[in-house]
Amino acid sequence: MITIEEIKKLIPQRYPFLMIDRVMELETEKSITAYKNISANESFFNGHFPDNPIFPGAFTAEAMAQAACVLLKKSIPDLEAKAFYVTNIKIRFSKVVIPGDQLKVIIKTVKMTRMGGVFETEAKVNNDTVAKGEMTFACK
Amino acid sequence: MENLEKELRSIIAEITEIEPEKITMEARFVEDLGMDSMMALEILASIEKKYKIQIPESKLMSLLSLKDTVNLTTEYLKQG
Repeated sequence: MITIEEIKKLIPQRYPFLMIDRVMELETEKSITAYKNISANESFFNGHFPDNPIFPGAFTAEAMAQAACVLLKKSIPDLEAKAFYVTNIKIRFSKVVIPGDQLKVIIKTVKMTRMGGVFETEAKVNNDTVAKGEMTFACK
Repeated sequence: MENLEKELRSIIAEITEIEPEKITMEARFVEDLGMDSMMALEILASIEKKYKIQIPESKLMSLLSLKDTVNLTTEYLKQG
């Protein structure tokens, strides 16, 4: 298990933009499974949407990207990337995510290099797929 | 070889959103087609996935045209 304090040492994102809480499984160079607990206390639920809180799909994509960053950093420990830039993303969102849900993010490597990577991504709630796709990002 | 050329052109066209007819064997990826290094990485990843081969990262910079891509893929397909 990788705790939030360890995650913060691996990726540059901070509050209010930390989109993973814990890493539960990691197979370096191959895959990672991380969790994000969705709380009604998050301020963005005031606007997304009033009286109908829905976790933004863009944040699910960000959770996927952050989990992939952790996988990359754990796989290439001497990687000197200061930031990660998403360059391509293709995700289909199939179900809404609401407060109380635990988002499970599963990332599998398609291709990983020091300049960036291509990853298959999936997010689940209660074992149901809520989003699935592929993303590419560059390390700089 | 002709079939491989067609398949690779199709992969490149899908990733780059460039019309397939513009992706000639000689057209240079960066100078003529406006591609970047991350698109090249995606092309490499798609080729590896489709043909179940492994191409090292060091070969990425040698992907400069469709002709190079066909040659590189052929080389690694032969290696099995």
